[in-house]
Amino acid sequence: MDTTNRATAPGIRTRVARAVAAATLAAVALSATACKLDLDNPNAPTREEIVTNADGIIAVAPGMQGQFAQTIDDYVVTNSLVTDEWGTRSLALISYVSLLTGENFDPGYDIVLTPFSRSYQVILSANTILEGTQNVSLGVATTAGMNALARLFKAMALGMLAQQYQRVPVEITAAGGVPRERAEVLDTVLVLLERARADIANVSDASLAEFRSLALAPGIDLRNTIDAMLARYYLIDGQYAQAIAAADRVNLGVLSELRYPSPTRNPIENLAFQLRYVGGLQSFVNQAEAGDRRPAYWLQTTATTLPANPPDTVLRPLRKFSTPNEAFPLYLPDEMKLIKAEALTRQGPTNYAAAATLINEVRTQTTSAVDEPVAGLPAIPLTSLATEAQLLDQIAYERRYELYMQGLRWEDTRRLGTQRTTTPTFTFLPLPVVECQANPEQPCG
Amino acid sequence: MSLFLRTARHLAITLVAMPAVLAAQQTGTVRGRVTEIASGQPIISAQVQVAGTTLGAMTGATGEYVIPNVPVGTRTVIARRIGFAEMRRELSIAPGQTAAADFAMTAAAVTLSEVVVTGTASPTTRRALPNQIESIAGEEVGQAPAATAIDQALQGKLVGAVISENSGQPGGGVSIRLRGTNSILGGAEPLYVIDGVIIDNDSEALVSIGANATRGGAALSNRIADLDPADVDRIEVLKGAAAAALYGSRANNGVIQIFTRRGRAGTPQVSASTEYSTGRTPKKYELVEIPIAGLADTAINTTLRVGQAIERYDVQDDVWRTAHSTTNRLSVTGGSGGTTYFLGSSYQREQGIMRKSDYNRLNLRANLTQQLHPRFDVAVRSNFVRSHAEYIPEGEQTQGVMTGIIFTPTSFNPRFDPNTGRYPANPVLTTNALEVLARYEAPEDVTRFVGGAEGTWRLRDDLTVRYVAGVDDYRREARYLQPPRTQGPNFTGSIQNPVQFSRQFNNDLVATHEWEARPQLTLNTGLGFRYTQDNDEVLRAAASDLPPDQTLVGGAVQSASQARTEIRTVGWYVEERFTLANRLYVTAGLNWDASSAFGESERLQMFPRAGVSYVLSEEPFFRERAGSVLSLVRLRAAYGETGGQPPGAYTRFQNFENTSFAGRAGLVSSTTIGNPDLKPERQREWEVGAEVASFQDRAQLELTYYDKRTKDLVLSVPVAPSTGALRQFQNIGVLSNKGVEIALNTINFNRPALTWRSRLTYAANRERVERLATRADTLVSGYLNAVIEGHPVGVFYGGIYAREPNGAIAYHDTTISGRLWRSLPFRARDTVVVQGARTPVLAQRIIGDPNPDFTMSFLNTFELPRNFELSVLFDGRFGNDVANFTRRITEFFGSDKNVEREIRGDTAVGTFARNPTGRINIYEEYIEDGSFIKLREVALTVGLGQALASRLRARAVSIRLAGRNLYTWTDYSGLDPEVNLFSAQTVARGVDFATTPLPRTFTMSLNLTF
Repeated sequence: MDTTNRATAPGIRTRVARAVAAATLAAVALSATACKLDLDNPNAPTREEIVTNADGIIAVAPGMQGQFAQTIDDYVVTNSLVTDEWGTRSLALISYVSLLTGENFDPGYDIVLTPFSRSYQVILSANTILEGTQNVSLGVATTAGMNALARLFKAMALGMLAQQYQRVPVEITAAGGVPRERAEVLDTVLVLLERARADIANVSDASLAEFRSLALAPGIDLRNTIDAMLARYYLIDGQYAQAIAAADRVNLGVLSELRYPSPTRNPIENLAFQLRYVGGLQSFVNQAEAGDRRPAYWLQTTATTLPANPPDTVLRPLRKFSTPNEAFPLYLPDEMKLIKAEALTRQGPTNYAAAATLINEVRTQTTSAVDEPVAGLPAIPLTSLATEAQLLDQIAYERRYELYMQGLRWEDTRRLGTQRTTTPTFTFLPLPVVECQANPEQPCG
Repeated sequence: MSLFLRTARHLAITLVAMPAVLAAQQTGTVRGRVTEIASGQPIISAQVQVAGTTLGAMTGATGEYVIPNVPVGTRTVIARRIGFAEMRRELSIAPGQTAAADFAMTAAAVTLSEVVVTGTASPTTRRALPNQIESIAGEEVGQAPAATAIDQALQGKLVGAVISENSGQPGGGVSIRLRGTNSILGGAEPLYVIDGVIIDNDSEALVSIGANATRGGAALSNRIADLDPADVDRIEVLKGAAAAALYGSRANNGVIQIFTRRGRAGTPQVSASTEYSTGRTPKKYELVEIPIAGLADTAINTTLRVGQAIERYDVQDDVWRTAHSTTNRLSVTGGSGGTTYFLGSSYQREQGIMRKSDYNRLNLRANLTQQLHPRFDVAVRSNFVRSHAEYIPEGEQTQGVMTGIIFTPTSFNPRFDPNTGRYPANPVLTTNALEVLARYEAPEDVTRFVGGAEGTWRLRDDLTVRYVAGVDDYRREARYLQPPRTQGPNFTGSIQNPVQFSRQFNNDLVATHEWEARPQLTLNTGLGFRYTQDNDEVLRAAASDLPPDQTLVGGAVQSASQARTEIRTVGWYVEERFTLANRLYVTAGLNWDASSAFGESERLQMFPRAGVSYVLSEEPFFRERAGSVLSLVRLRAAYGETGGQPPGAYTRFQNFENTSFAGRAGLVSSTTIGNPDLKPERQREWEVGAEVASFQDRAQLELTYYDKRTKDLVLSVPVAPSTGALRQFQNIGVLSNKGVEIALNTINFNRPALTWRSRLTYAANRERVERLATRADTLVSGYLNAVIEGHPVGVFYGGIYAREPNGAIAYHDTTISGRLWRSLPFRARDTVVVQGARTPVLAQRIIGDPNPDFTMSFLNTFELPRNFELSVLFDGRFGNDVANFTRRITEFFGSDKNVEREIRGDTAVGTFARNPTGRINIYEEYIEDGSFIKLREVALTVGLGQALASRLRARAVSIRLAGRNLYTWTDYSGLDPEVNLFSAQTVARGVDFATTPLPRTFTMSLNLTF
């Protein structure tokens, strides 16, 4: 090695060489330090970031409410097509025709998947909020409001699932949950709702101001909705006293609704007018009592009919939800009266008169301070509402016209089975094919 | 291994003693001329190199070269040129003196002496390589007639590559597949490297003007189009994992390294060239001409009756044009005192064959090398590009110009109506094609800098350290203006103005050590480190409700969005090569790569490789027995592994997405679950091959067989929806590619009066999807291209004819919506059992394959005295199917020539036009054999002689007449079987849908060297 041949004084070349060597070493050192490989995603926050950050948790609340609001049509489409509410148009998808007629049905259809998958997306958001409120401090009132909101929406999503599918998982697990019997699902719904009620029972409206301004979507009345949902699901579950108690707590003078300011759009309007897939069945108009004002509230009864598929039916364009920014009610005030009427009837003959009175309140309403259908019909003599069958029959009629396209009629035909005017084409939806295939619990056997 | 320790020790010692090592050394100069032995003509662009150093030069137009600063002593000087046998001369270099070394080279078909640097830690001659590496000389690229992009110029020149120009619009749009497709959701285009700097070849569409963004979003351009082919010195191509393992987790699709021209020492040499070219469409659509109304005409005009006399309007002549293009180039090269430089500039104006389509590009390059010390060189290379393209919407865009023409019966007159002052609305698509041509704007501007710095430090004669750092930085601005009322009276206009910022940085540090351990055994060790960083950002601004004459973003409704990605990779590699008795070479290497896109648990990935090359013909026993017949026999085998980056930089996270509800900003969990264990797609490849030469090196046959298997392909796998999510990216798919590559190089004739060379290539690849997420999976991309287990990627999958038991198409009379249609074919149905009931569903079958069975090319060059050269290149693709969506539309909407048969009454009404259940849904009908042979290039170069040159005070003058895509032999009925609506998309290929055909181009150029 000739490394001992050292030059006596560093010449220009040596200096250059030193500089270059230093630069090379610096470059190596620099590139070694620049090698951070755990890069964050600048486009979107991750779950870890959300559940440990107060603002992140709060932002999931509008996200969750929006998910539910944009899923309304999934619940309504199946309900309205398998019962006697809607028909489909020739432009619609083959799966819509299939729901309507019961023919050529395929569990791989999107309409089978979306009510299911989107409900669990709402539930996942609710879980994220419930996890986050334990991690970060939002203050007592806001935490209570957030928990109540998350439990309400989780319950509503599960409740909607219970009305569409026979057995569904009640909790989210990493790979897919174990499907539970309907009774168990309803119990979970009611537990969630009672806990939601308890969450905010001792919190004043004033202290919930921050929660309302940051998290709760305008239009949604949290306390009333929790009670209304309790009434709805206690009735479905057959717990009549609790149903009556809950319905009694609901303030019937206010609405609780999902609002769709631009650029969002009411999904039912989108379906009926933008996509032009659906319309109301003419039979809904024809089978109403003479003088009932409610068909004209829901449908355009004087407009020209729409070409339908199959072609031997006649469709009416919707009147309600015919503009893009119309709100969708989470429940209608008269649903509470009809829930009470039904619960009273089920409790036995001593309550028949009270039930008949409630039915007549619904029938004889001619005006309302809020946007709801009014029947404007004469009262029915109590003698004609004297038996359980007569009462349930009348309740089924009133519910059909009062709660049109609210996603409730399918369940009504199950509960008020003897008073059916329609036989649904399916008793329940099957589980989506992808759930059957991808859930390791093998929910489809 | 003690070798690494040795190298490390050397490195340490030398760093400490560096000033002494770099002490001044005495040098001399080597100078000479390289000529062809038979004709005595100068050989241009021959490499002359001093063995054992990186000192070297390239010959100029007169065949002369100069190498300054050669260390004194006895040195071996080597001259190399593709197509000639390597020559060596020993010289004695005295201090301050000039030694002369002239070379008279002999033509040879053998290529084993070429030096290859890509994919190996230290430069090596081809004979030592265990794997096949293609090497393309710069002039094959730079002088490819009418090729504006490098990838385009490679067509027909790479064995085992399918190179397609996806659209005939100017400004790029080329896709290259090396040894098949090697991904499903990831990209399929090779990694591009320029002088050691990894560069971007993005083809993401910023605006949808070809295929819709929802279908893969491939653009009409790709970013290699920014580079000037004339800057290329040579190209090296690694086609699979066996060769590309050094590039680790980015090399599943192969690597293409481009070396740009270096300066040559000596007095400044100026080259100027000017080129003019003219292009035309090879074919026009044949449309209905007979002036009688048919069913399709009555459908757009209800006042017409079938059989009524009408006028016809074929407006193709308002759209196609003869394109005139020019390219001007000026470059200077020279050098003295340890400095060499190459300064190049070019300006290109290219017209498209469709009116208004246009492309121009300014390219400036400065490559400098400076010898700071006999043991230390630095090189700085920089390239600035500015380009501007005017595109025309086409393909599936309803605003496409050719789309408008094929969708409309010729009874519609789209020409401007002076009475209304407007273009009439198209009765089918609303948008009037001629109005689009006149009023729409879809420009794209690119401003780009590609530059790098390289330092090579020969610490000792046996130890070299090289450092390369480079950036590729560009801004791409697209704009798409759709003026108000051009898509119906209620259309308020729209303008989009996305801007993409892309920056790639990489650096490589590699130390190589050579050790002659025994007289017959040499060991070469390489140690390297690599870091890469890719940043990409897209800003989108858009507006609608435009005021009149608005051409920039502004209007009543405005929107903007932003997206950013960053990927970093770090890699370390070691390589060891054993050379035994100059005939047996064994190479082994390991590469560790980490990427920010991999899950944390899978961060560090190892990619091994190994190979052996055995030059059998060097063995004495072989020479004795067979040496007179076979001048060369080499056998080689190689194995290697590489990776592919997973799609998306952030798929390892569980991301939350923006949403808004009731006026509040919100977040929701993405329905795609993050996969914290995501790892690269991993390819393993082994290849075996041989080179055999005979007839005194005048014929060489190259054979390669390869077997690639890419596993861990990232697929979007459905998860149980009860998890609250729908999909997850998982490493699950497996894909294999196997094939052969054959090349035969011959010198058919070698006399002073004529040298005739040929190169014939053949390549066949068999691709198979081995595994998807579930056996029943059929992933469909684009329209019909499907990924199905057991079949090649992208097979056509769609409806078939209902047939009689004997196989003939079944024809029935039927009533649809009250109308009787006679003798119509129907789409076949299958019966499936759903929920216990038998249900007929439309049948789907594999109906074609866009992948060729094999490709071939045939190049002949004839060199005559007085610098007269002719080259002819044929390029062919065989057994590939094309989905002719253009014909599907022209038939249904009644503009196709075939429809005349129906109008004349030769076939049933509804056979072609406007039959809602007819053959429009029977895709089998539109799958055509897309095999073709193209006369890809013809070039005739004539040197104008010294007398004329000196009159012009030039050293050399030549003129060149050339052509590109001059003729196509094919059975395909459309305009061009080579185009693809979905451009560089991985799966969706072979779809022709109102896509601009490749022009037939003639060029004429004048080249002067001063």
